[in-house]
Amino acid sequence: MAMKNKYYFLLIWLISLSGCKKFLQEDPQGILVGDIALSNENGLEAQLAGAYSPLMQAWSSGFASSAQIGLSMGGDDVTTHPVSNKEDFRQFDQLAVTPADARADEVWSGCYKSIQSANNIISNYEKVTGDQDHIKEIAGEAFFLRGMCYYYLVRWWGKIPLVTSANFDPSMLEMNSSEITDVYKLIEDDLKKAEEMVGDVKLAPGRINKGTVKAYLADVYLTESGWPVKDASKAALAAQKAKEVMDNKATYGFDLYQGDFNKIFAGGTPEDVFALHTDHVAISNVYYGMSGMPGDEGGWDDYFAEINFFNDFPAGNRKDGTFLTSVNDGALQWQNFATKHPYYRKFRIQSADSINYASNSPIIMMRYANVLLVYAEAEARSVGPDASAYDAINAVRVRAGLNPLTPGLSADDFIKAVLDERGWEFAAEWTRWFDMVRTETVAEVLSHRSPNENVKLLGDPGDKKNWLFPIPGTDKSKSPNL
Amino acid sequence: MKHSLLLFFTFLVSIAATAQVHPVTGRVTDDAGTPLQFVSVIEKGTPNGTSTDVNGDYKISVKPGAILVFSSVSHGTSEINVNGRNAISIVLSSSAAKLSDVIVVAYGTQKRATVTSSQVSVSTEDFKGQAVTRLDQALQGRASGVQVTNTTGAPGGDVRIRIRGANSVSGNNDPLYVIDGFVGGDFNVINPDDVEDIEILKDAAATAPYGSRGSNGVVIITTKKGSRGKTQLSLTSRLSSSKIMKTYDKLNAGDYAETVNAYDAAVGINPYFTADQINGFKTNGGTDWQKEIYQTAIGQQYELGIDGGSDKTTYHISGSYQNLPGIIRNSFYKFYNIRSNINTQLSDKFSTYINFNGFIRNNTNTFLVAGQANPVAQSIAWSPTVPVYDENGYHHLVKSDPIGSVGFNPIAEITERLAKTNSYNANIMGGLLYKIIPDLSLNVQYGVDYAASEYKNFGDLNVSPEGGYTSRSTGTSIGLQNTNTLNYRHTFNENHHLDLTAVLEVQKGTWEGFNVGINHLIYPSFMWNNLSLGTAQQPGSGTTQSSMVSLFGRVTYSFKDKYLFSGTIRRDASSVFRDKNKAGYFPSLSLGWLMSKEKFVEDLNIFTLLKLRGSWGLTGNQAVGAYSTYATYKSATATYTDNSNVPAIEIDRSENPDLKWETTEQKNIGLDMQFNAIGLRASVDYFNKDTRDLLFWVGLPMFTGGGGIEKNIGEVTNKGWEISLGATPFNTRNFSWKTDFNYSVVNNKIVKLTGEGDIFDDPDIGWGMTSQPEFVLREGASMGSFWGYKYLGTWKPKDQAEAALYNAVPGDSRYADLDGDKAIGKNDLTIIGNGLPRYTAGWNNTFTYKGIELNIFIQGVFGFDKLNFLYGAAMANGGDFRQAMLTDIKNRYIPGVNETSDIPAFSGTTANYIQSSRFVSKGDFIRFKNVSLAYTLPRSILKNIASIKFFASVMNLFTITHYKGMDPESANTGSGSDAAQNIDYGAYPVPRTFTGGITLTF
Repeated sequence: MAMKNKYYFLLIWLISLSGCKKFLQEDPQGILVGDIALSNENGLEAQLAGAYSPLMQAWSSGFASSAQIGLSMGGDDVTTHPVSNKEDFRQFDQLAVTPADARADEVWSGCYKSIQSANNIISNYEKVTGDQDHIKEIAGEAFFLRGMCYYYLVRWWGKIPLVTSANFDPSMLEMNSSEITDVYKLIEDDLKKAEEMVGDVKLAPGRINKGTVKAYLADVYLTESGWPVKDASKAALAAQKAKEVMDNKATYGFDLYQGDFNKIFAGGTPEDVFALHTDHVAISNVYYGMSGMPGDEGGWDDYFAEINFFNDFPAGNRKDGTFLTSVNDGALQWQNFATKHPYYRKFRIQSADSINYASNSPIIMMRYANVLLVYAEAEARSVGPDASAYDAINAVRVRAGLNPLTPGLSADDFIKAVLDERGWEFAAEWTRWFDMVRTETVAEVLSHRSPNENVKLLGDPGDKKNWLFPIPGTDKSKSPNL
Repeated sequence: MKHSLLLFFTFLVSIAATAQVHPVTGRVTDDAGTPLQFVSVIEKGTPNGTSTDVNGDYKISVKPGAILVFSSVSHGTSEINVNGRNAISIVLSSSAAKLSDVIVVAYGTQKRATVTSSQVSVSTEDFKGQAVTRLDQALQGRASGVQVTNTTGAPGGDVRIRIRGANSVSGNNDPLYVIDGFVGGDFNVINPDDVEDIEILKDAAATAPYGSRGSNGVVIITTKKGSRGKTQLSLTSRLSSSKIMKTYDKLNAGDYAETVNAYDAAVGINPYFTADQINGFKTNGGTDWQKEIYQTAIGQQYELGIDGGSDKTTYHISGSYQNLPGIIRNSFYKFYNIRSNINTQLSDKFSTYINFNGFIRNNTNTFLVAGQANPVAQSIAWSPTVPVYDENGYHHLVKSDPIGSVGFNPIAEITERLAKTNSYNANIMGGLLYKIIPDLSLNVQYGVDYAASEYKNFGDLNVSPEGGYTSRSTGTSIGLQNTNTLNYRHTFNENHHLDLTAVLEVQKGTWEGFNVGINHLIYPSFMWNNLSLGTAQQPGSGTTQSSMVSLFGRVTYSFKDKYLFSGTIRRDASSVFRDKNKAGYFPSLSLGWLMSKEKFVEDLNIFTLLKLRGSWGLTGNQAVGAYSTYATYKSATATYTDNSNVPAIEIDRSENPDLKWETTEQKNIGLDMQFNAIGLRASVDYFNKDTRDLLFWVGLPMFTGGGGIEKNIGEVTNKGWEISLGATPFNTRNFSWKTDFNYSVVNNKIVKLTGEGDIFDDPDIGWGMTSQPEFVLREGASMGSFWGYKYLGTWKPKDQAEAALYNAVPGDSRYADLDGDKAIGKNDLTIIGNGLPRYTAGWNNTFTYKGIELNIFIQGVFGFDKLNFLYGAAMANGGDFRQAMLTDIKNRYIPGVNETSDIPAFSGTTANYIQSSRFVSKGDFIRFKNVSLAYTLPRSILKNIASIKFFASVMNLFTITHYKGMDPESANTGSGSDAAQNIDYGAYPVPRTFTGGITLTF
């Protein structure tokens, strides 16, 4: 009998266990699953941080490393080491970019990851309860970031996949690239929405305000007036948007910084229309410092100035602030550097520990000087080089220690002068290449390269297909229709 | 000898006599002649039984043809045919469970002769004379179908163990370890000296009892139980010395300076060194960075074991301590372990046991990342022209070499960084055995496994751009298990043996972890001990839980012990899958024919054993973690100011509610033979494993936001042969030679990939020099395929015109232009090699002469390639390398001087891809893994000591290989993945180790 009882006991125990279905149910703790993520205002704010974050992950995604300078090396302002470990930079300088370029992947993935987070906010913000003004601001910044990321992508890659949903769907693997004009349409729409929703004051130095959005919109319009969209009517819109920023610069806290030119690059001046900030704790800027320093003082030689660009650069405090021409207290001049090139002083770390490869330097995406020069060019293209256009460019020139521009120039000459000014003012700030492309002057500008440049062109600068990069290979192999 | 005696009884005593009941008496003793009490003595197939008394004596009345079953918890089971005798005394050896008749199988034991699955035993006898410090060394090369690879040479480092190849592409192909019944244990925590027996289960019939975790094979480890009678104490002490086996041939300072200048001249930049400097380097020789980072590592190991027991209780208690420095300075491993196994016979029907095992492991700087923070790579990357220390005695130019590496000074890497992992584990396994009736028993087991690991990391100011960093993280996991096994054994009409097993098993696992890190340290010397003094990064924490409920049943039937059948089924229900995919069924069937019991085979008088067996079954692999079916976010960080950061979230994983088990269907056919002559024995197995619904983390395109999705993607097969041969060619009183050889072939093939075609796997070992994924999974190819460009040598002068089409000149690298577009691009990437080994062999020889024992063990691994990123970077300026560093560069193509070389010239137009067949080479090697000599003092000269044994051994005495790297065995791809393996980018090299020691037994 005793034995029987034991069997019963076992049987009861067996039943009680198998009946316990809950034992096999998953109840994830501390892991964000599905819709909980954006259920409240703070979650939405965290997702917005998730849209900024991919733009500043050094060497992995975004703009925190010298990748974006690499992508702009087709310009006549920057070059790189002829060999060493710089293959991925060199391809841009040579106008022969392969789909295997890792630096291209860095910017591409950073922009698209940011777009994914922005998409998630845009699809969900209307359902979120809380302080509606704050929610509107967050959504506005999301629209801005999506528009801005597509703006970088379309200028570097041309036809690209236009993704507006955050969630992966297998049909995405069958996607085709969108027409360039469709991409610009989305960019304009997004920036216009952002313009309505974003407030006049930046919630933090690393975020944006209405003025930032308008400044980007002006820049977008000006670009659209050139290649490849070539819609001349956009120039007037560019001038109008730029003027809105200039007229309200006090409201937005923007102005030309009149102190030491070099100080602009330490960040925190009114010059910052949009600057990503890094803290050197969680996020570091790694294109300031050793990346752009000569090997002769322990640097990595990732990028430095082209010889003729430097030679043609008008002397003055701006030139002094822009370039590094000697090391060891002048004992070693740039002609005797191993690479025989001048370097960029503007991206030196300005804190005590200047010989380092990481710092909390800002990633300045757009400066107020750009608003002025966009205005000057757009005004000249739409109305003509009137007094307001002269005022805008001269403000930049005078600060640089140059004389005001000769009055009475023809529209073409004036525009040429603005483009030169842009090249000098924003040397190595990844605008020169875009200017050369939109004005279709790649071949002409590059014909002035010094014969002493060690990195030679491999691609034909007159061939427009070399002005855009191929879709990164890792994505193309997963989505062959791109 | 005692075992042979048992076999003698079992096999030779036969023929039944009259049907009269008669008394049988006898004594049961252990190996040492100590009487064993409470051994149950049962007349087989009847309730008739008794047990031994305090003197080990028993008395029972049985039929003359009866079979007596002697069984003891500690000493296993033995069956003796009475054959009309009145007195039967037997010896139950503590290893009798294995060596006589019965072996450990999944959830039970079985007569060895009737086993119909593919299963190999590794006995402590096989490795007791050697300097085995961890269990993987005991398995290496000793069993066919088992591949053991030291993926790192760091002491206490990772090892890859595979049984019959790799089925799963998404990661875990480790066998399942069952330690004293605890399913899913960690072999690292077992002191080899505590091991009684290791069983390696290979085919589905053997592993299907473990259902969803059986695909990768199972290793059942049984620890020692102690023996009754006299207490035995043994003490072992070992001292070892390890050294690096091989270093790279690096340019000396003078040659290097000349090479740098030649390079500068070729690409049009200013020469870096002056003639005076070069002459100076030629006289002083410069820095040998490799010599600076390696050391001779002196290690110590101590082991203490106490075995004994009273009438009812036996115990085995042991402790061990190991302190093993690594051959890279400042790396070491410490191990502390204690075990207590206690078995008690409560009554005739009840017995109980409890096994406790606890250990602490401490790994310091033993894990090497690839590339920049890796001292092995940096010791090659740094210029020999740079001194180690500057005039102030400080590490010279810590942050970067002026023209060589962009990484940190290698000495700073090893002296100013500290990465410590402390692991703590306690495993307690207790159980109650209840003999309900003689044929029916219940075994209720409970197990608790507690494992905690603490990781502490520190980088001083010099090796950190962020002003020093330090962090602490901990992870704690608790595993609970309850296993209830009901077993019924009965023999019907003498010829029909039936064995039924039913199991209910419940498991639950919980993991919790957190981490905190700071940088910008105010007091770097505090390291991780005061995390408030620095700038905090975002802390992290997490938890996961998973659970499983399993039912298992087995029927084993044999007719006349000649025709054998076994069938099993297991049902696993797991929390990690959803709805209809939660439960899986894993059946198996096996058949065997013991031909040596057939008259026509007996008549041949050749075989002592001849068995044909075949099996089929399904097993599974979960291969994914908890919550894998859900869409989840991950945490990130963003900064809006230059002195603070904010938490961020990013979409990480996409949802896949349809995710299900990976299932492996395995067929096996095998033949076991034992011959009359020279103890010759042979086993041959052919197997075919077909794994479907492969689980894989499929990376999504960057433009969709990246991240990935856990998916069932395809089908992989592993087919192969295993042969093991053994013999004892000499066996005289003074001299014997025992030899065992095994050889295995595994052919891996990806049969099908659903959906998108090729799937790329990018462990990103060669960060900064490999922009393309390093591995590809492609239909028709084997797992572990390297992805890259096919190198065709250099462009030669006669090809000048064609080279120009590629913007190249003679002397530049030439790659296969597979798509013919006159450019080397994405479409020219192809499979350039394979890192998955196909053939493995092991040859173990033991020679004894009087008290001297010599063991020579040779291991071979063949049929795989290595992609040597370190060699590539050092020849072609990849990653952190800005100069060529190795003497091979002197043989480069030099226009007008050496125009036949396939090492490209220094040139501004050459494109060198590290990810190319140029740096792929065969990894095949034969290694004298162990040579050891042991001498046991003759008993006659010992007084109070039972035995004294001296031993000396060399591990990795020498290696035969064509591989150019430091070591063909270690790699940076780690032991985890099989789809990605054998990329070498500064892996911790496997050392040569001399060990000497002594074992005292009292």
